Amino acid sequence: MKQKHEITLLTEARESLFMALNAVAAHKLRSALTLLGVLIGVFSIIVVMTSMRVLKTNVETEMSQLGANTFKVQKWPELQFEGPMGWEKYRRRLNFTLAHGKLVIEKATLATSVGIEEDFWGGQMETRFEKSAPGVRILGETPGSFPAKNWTIADGRALTDNDVDNARDVCVLADGLARTLFPFGSPVGDKLKMDGINYQVIGVLTAKGATMGGSQDNFVIIPISTGLNRFGSWKRSLSILVQARDKASYEDCVEQVRGILRVARKVPPGAEDDFELFSNDSLIAQFEKFTRAVRIGVAVISSIALLAAGIGIMNIMLVSVTERTREIGIRRAIGAKKRNIMTQFLVEAVVLCEVGGIIGVVLGILGGNAIAFYFKVPPAIPFDWIALGLALCSLVGIIFGTYPAYKAANLDPIESLRYE
Amino acid sequence: MNFITEIREGFGISWAAIRANKLRSILTTLGIVIGIVTVTLMGTAIEGLNQSFMSSISSLGADVFFVSRDAWFNNNEGEWRKTQRRRPLKIAEANKLIGQLELSSAVAPVAQSGARVEFERRNSGRVQVLGTTEQYAITSGIGISEGHFFSAEEAAGGRPVCIIGMQVSSNLFGGGSALGQRIKISSKTFEVVGVLEKQGSFMGIFSMDNQAVIPIEQFITTIWNNPDIAIHVKARQLTELEDSREELRHTMRKIRRLQPSDADDFAINQQEQFVQMFNRVAGTIAAVGFFITGLSLFVGGIGIMNIMFVSVAERTREIGIRKAIGAKRRTILLQFLTEAGCICLLGGLIALAIAWPLTLVMQKFLPATMSLTVASVALLVSLVIGVVSGFLPAWRAARMNPVDALRSE
Repeated sequence: MKQKHEITLLTEARESLFMALNAVAAHKLRSALTLLGVLIGVFSIIVVMTSMRVLKTNVETEMSQLGANTFKVQKWPELQFEGPMGWEKYRRRLNFTLAHGKLVIEKATLATSVGIEEDFWGGQMETRFEKSAPGVRILGETPGSFPAKNWTIADGRALTDNDVDNARDVCVLADGLARTLFPFGSPVGDKLKMDGINYQVIGVLTAKGATMGGSQDNFVIIPISTGLNRFGSWKRSLSILVQARDKASYEDCVEQVRGILRVARKVPPGAEDDFELFSNDSLIAQFEKFTRAVRIGVAVISSIALLAAGIGIMNIMLVSVTERTREIGIRRAIGAKKRNIMTQFLVEAVVLCEVGGIIGVVLGILGGNAIAFYFKVPPAIPFDWIALGLALCSLVGIIFGTYPAYKAANLDPIESLRYE
Repeated sequence: MNFITEIREGFGISWAAIRANKLRSILTTLGIVIGIVTVTLMGTAIEGLNQSFMSSISSLGADVFFVSRDAWFNNNEGEWRKTQRRRPLKIAEANKLIGQLELSSAVAPVAQSGARVEFERRNSGRVQVLGTTEQYAITSGIGISEGHFFSAEEAAGGRPVCIIGMQVSSNLFGGGSALGQRIKISSKTFEVVGVLEKQGSFMGIFSMDNQAVIPIEQFITTIWNNPDIAIHVKARQLTELEDSREELRHTMRKIRRLQPSDADDFAINQQEQFVQMFNRVAGTIAAVGFFITGLSLFVGGIGIMNIMFVSVAERTREIGIRKAIGAKRRTILLQFLTEAGCICLLGGLIALAIAWPLTLVMQKFLPATMSLTVASVALLVSLVIGVVSGFLPAWRAARMNPVDALRSE
């Protein structure tokens, strides 16, 4: 008995689907226009979501400057949303000095490497072959910065403690810069002139995935002590990079470093930290938080078109029910139940929506990735939004198809047979 | 039958048709209402953004030139670095300008920096302190609510006097009068001789009332002894703005002893540049916003077209009869166009009635008012949508063969 019931259900579903397809095919123009409405509604959602995903990937790549399990400590927050007046609070904070950094190196037992960093100056580099464009960044670093920033050496060697302790005039070049400044062969051992002083090139970094147009690959690394001597340490606040051993000890490591710095900077118990501590993830999370309202607003606005499309569907389904009153009457007369009629029209509405939805999704992804093409970033396919978009389509079909289907199911068979 | 009668008849028929299918008409109208509401709200929001920018920017004055070492907006970082190597402007250069410009009504050197302002035990954090001359009152056009701006003698003699902004005044003196009080700016005593009028905030980001104005001689001795100054120059007449600008440029070149082949080593900024910059950003926002909201309007239009096609098909016989008794193609076309137009116009009116209270809510965040322009454009757009999407169905109705139409079941 149970098996028989299943068979009828399956047959009913198949029958409804065929009838729906027939009805859609019978009124081509009408179906096409209804479809177009849903198509545009879904397109609007998917195109907006895809382009937001693309922009998000773009921002995340720009923000991901640190290696895995690494965090950065500095005086200033990395993202500032408070306007010019917010700066006052941060400006008054104690500067980070080399001594703070050395203290962390000495005491942070849970960290595998600790680097000290400062962005010194940007200018023109000169070698015996070429001159670079102005605006090459000069970063002061310690040996610990290399693992923390995910830098690996392609040629030569990294900075050593000796370089930092003796404030040697040596530098490590980023890949992109090395290629422009030394077009012929290895730069290791050669001289590089910046701000009028010669530095010996001791190494070259491996290229980072230069999807962003090379801005990540245009800098010079010198020992931080050399930088502080040359460009001045007065009114400078350094950053400290700390890499935890693994994910499990990351939280402990953060707490340890925080404790060390609070003691060193004499922050009274209970008072707020007088420094900012962030990682790639926390930075991205912060960015997401600040842009959440905008993203929700855009999502809502883009789904309004789907609502309008739903109303169009309801309208056309009502017409369709009225036109097919006799057909409904005949089906009821030869034994169709109310439920069968209801399913028939619901399936018709959903089929209409889904066909429009699928085309809309395809067009939306193409449209959204036009932005990816424009910004030269890898394209994104928001699978979750595709699923959600198609689900929304079915939902719209069900919500707006229910009333017409209900109306059809509750027609009096005798009256509807008589209907002209 | 003349045209007027035709239109009147068209209205009559379409009204009857709309009433005959109430649910259908309501749903079709609803589709349009949704579209018009979103587009109207978007338009109001963008206009509000523009207004808040314009009221913020108006304090700069359209006829004032801001000569400084660097331009307000640089196209790239390299350009900016280049401007940083230029010689700073000097006060002596501003003084020379005063004697040499004929097409300008005021020249004021302006130096600024943040400083701490104290009165007895109260203090105000980072106040924007401007060092300038009495001419600043003319170039900035700022009104004084209490007291007076310092005189030419006070400015030239570098007297320790100051004029403070509304926010500084209320921070330091609460409700009391600030006039004649002695406050400390960067630990040096100044007498308050005037209080500026309230100016509000710039785009709600930072307050323009948090400032203090002192003679530039005092600024140099107390705050910054070698300031990077800007020179504000007010043109004599708005009509000869270009001439004033050229005169200013040439005089500056002469004063700074540039060779004819040299490029300018200073920049002349104008309010105009700010406006252009803003327009570029606001233009993008408006384009994206109108595109997204326009899509829902488009969907509404499609709904109308669809329902008009149905309507035409249902009324084939009626059309046949009308044609048989002498209705022209034009009459039928007009009849259905009127019907579509009526539905849309009705939708537009309802949409405005819904959007109106919503803009009142929006006013809490933006100085947004639903202007007559936005309202009339919305109505016009809804009418156009009705006519455009109604055209194809109406055309089909008008082209029907009366014989076939009469025969149709």
